[in-house]
Amino acid sequence: MKSDTFLKLIGGLALAFIFPWVFLILIPFVSASNAEPIPYGEGEEVEGGVTAYPDSVFYRHGSSDYGRQIYAAEGCVYCHTQVIRPTYAGPDMWRPGWGGREADGLARETQPLDYSLEEVAPLGYQRIGQDLSNVGHRITTRELMHQHLSDPTSLDPDSGMPAYLHLYKKSPYGEGLVPTPKAEALVDYLLSLKKDQPIPSTK
Amino acid sequence: MTVPQPTPDEMAERASIDRSTRYPVMFFFTSAAAWLLVATLLGFSSSLKLRVPGLWDGCEFLTYGRLFPAHMSALVYGWAMQAGIGVMLWLMARLTRNELKHGITIIVIGHVWNAAVTLMVLSVWFGFGRGIPLLDFPSWIWPIVALSYSLIVVWMVPMFRSRRESSVYVSEMFIIGAAVWFPWIFLTANILINKGTAPVIGAGIDAWYITNLIYFWMAPVSLAVAYYIIPKIAGRPIHSYPLAHLTFWLLAFLAGWTGFSRFMGGPFPAWMPAVSGAAAIFILLAILATVTNLMLTLKGCSKIWEYSPSLRFTVFGMLMLGLYALLSAMSSTFYFGKDLQFSHFVVGMDTLAFYGFFSMTIFGAIYFIVPRITGAEWPSGARIRSHFWWSTYGIMTLVVTMLVGGIAQGGNLAVWDQEFSTSFVNSSAYVVGRAVAWALISYSNFLFLYQLAQMFVGKGRKSDGPTLIHSEPGTAASAKAAAGLS
Repeated sequence: MKSDTFLKLIGGLALAFIFPWVFLILIPFVSASNAEPIPYGEGEEVEGGVTAYPDSVFYRHGSSDYGRQIYAAEGCVYCHTQVIRPTYAGPDMWRPGWGGREADGLARETQPLDYSLEEVAPLGYQRIGQDLSNVGHRITTRELMHQHLSDPTSLDPDSGMPAYLHLYKKSPYGEGLVPTPKAEALVDYLLSLKKDQPIPSTK
Repeated sequence: MTVPQPTPDEMAERASIDRSTRYPVMFFFTSAAAWLLVATLLGFSSSLKLRVPGLWDGCEFLTYGRLFPAHMSALVYGWAMQAGIGVMLWLMARLTRNELKHGITIIVIGHVWNAAVTLMVLSVWFGFGRGIPLLDFPSWIWPIVALSYSLIVVWMVPMFRSRRESSVYVSEMFIIGAAVWFPWIFLTANILINKGTAPVIGAGIDAWYITNLIYFWMAPVSLAVAYYIIPKIAGRPIHSYPLAHLTFWLLAFLAGWTGFSRFMGGPFPAWMPAVSGAAAIFILLAILATVTNLMLTLKGCSKIWEYSPSLRFTVFGMLMLGLYALLSAMSSTFYFGKDLQFSHFVVGMDTLAFYGFFSMTIFGAIYFIVPRITGAEWPSGARIRSHFWWSTYGIMTLVVTMLVGGIAQGGNLAVWDQEFSTSFVNSSAYVVGRAVAWALISYSNFLFLYQLAQMFVGKGRKSDGPTLIHSEPGTAASAKAAAGLS
């Protein structure tokens, strides 16, 4: 009789938990795993004259995959988000440079496809620093990105970002800093962050 | 209605049960307290780093991005889970009236657990973290954690099945629940996240894991403690036993739905954050019912919590649980949530859960358990009082500054045409509160660890009466002493 109580209790717990486990976790996970990118319709008018997804959605270039690991290991997600929320949830898209290329009318909220090259989407924990979804559009040169990492207050005196000096070495030729391979990879990754390719209409 | 007094035979039986749990439980308590001190120091230094970003520039081990996850790992896996496991083992032995067997095995596996936590903290510190909050460790560590947890709690199953009474007390249900739920959510989260085929859902699963750890592990363990300690010390039965059961089953049905509301407007199907938000609001009902139930159990004997350390910590922890559920329901509504979701409020909430309600309740349990298993009383009531007040000041400072700071920061973030750094500048004053809070908590836990170490090496007070916060309970002198301290 006593063992029955134990099995009943465990059974009750399982019955209670199986619903969220299946419907909130497993089914969305499996269906997201098998999701194909929405195809561009034939002859469809697409914003910006794009007819196919750019390569960058499916392939990493340079050492940016190593850079992604550096981004994770340095804990960037604890201060930087990579989420552009739709306007009903906040004014992210209105902030200059956050939502992509406003000039081309391509600013949009982030979509699952934007994270297809990540292991876990670095959506972020807090927003102490700027959102980095489209940082590749805001900071376009390697030199500027290195300056942002090694001496952020020179660009914005109010910046709360610390200097990531351990990713740089003193130059053997006098003044200045030389980036380590880690810094170069991180810059590759950050420059690749552009979440603005047009999404086909689903009708 | 009064509770029957134990017979001498029952007293002897209890003593032998307590003796059987002594070494494993003390092992978990002392190593947990040591991890807590590490965690509070990491919390202090990470908050300091957030206030003064240029501090310690160039040292890779002292960046916020490494100190903060190391702090969270040490706090949750080093302190909270270990202390919780110790409490679960003792409560299970006492409630089922079984001696704890396989003590040596449990201590050996406890060492494995500690080694795994050490690897977690060091790996994130040395730059092998993966940027996944609370699962921020290389993927080969999770099987060790899952296996060692299961091998420790599995000994509670035969204890539960061979329990003396056929009816099941609600604390036993909470403990069995916590024992089963943690491996389930931990395995689900780690296996799916490491599969890596659905990056966005993976990030959502991490958020789901955090809130599930709070509602499926921390809340049940602390409620098991509260439903044991409050009736025990008050000397009367629970106000409403069916209500306690109802809380258990509401939690069991609802907690699994929470979590996704951390990303309102994120790249998820819109129903997922909505369902999570609704679940958090329903959970508020369950938690408020249970906190009210516990407070009504204490009705009329509020004097006791003035001098009983266990009761004071436990009651404070339960009030914090109510506050947590309230704020969590509030921030799950779209109105508040969308502005608060990436602000300091998040840190305030997580710390309120880990330290505010869970740790404070567990301190209550530890103050109750340790004298019974070591056969000596706590050396100093004054130090317990300091531990309580500095912890209370600390956690309240942290919660208030992070809540207000979160509103300030969130409000600034919502002004889209304002320089971004304004939100950092305007909220940075509140981060001082966070640093001060961790300094206070750190000091209070130094006192706690010192006392616990004294008990561990057998330097407790040999006395018939328990150590009370005030020597003369309920007298004017003790009230005056309390007033002088607060």
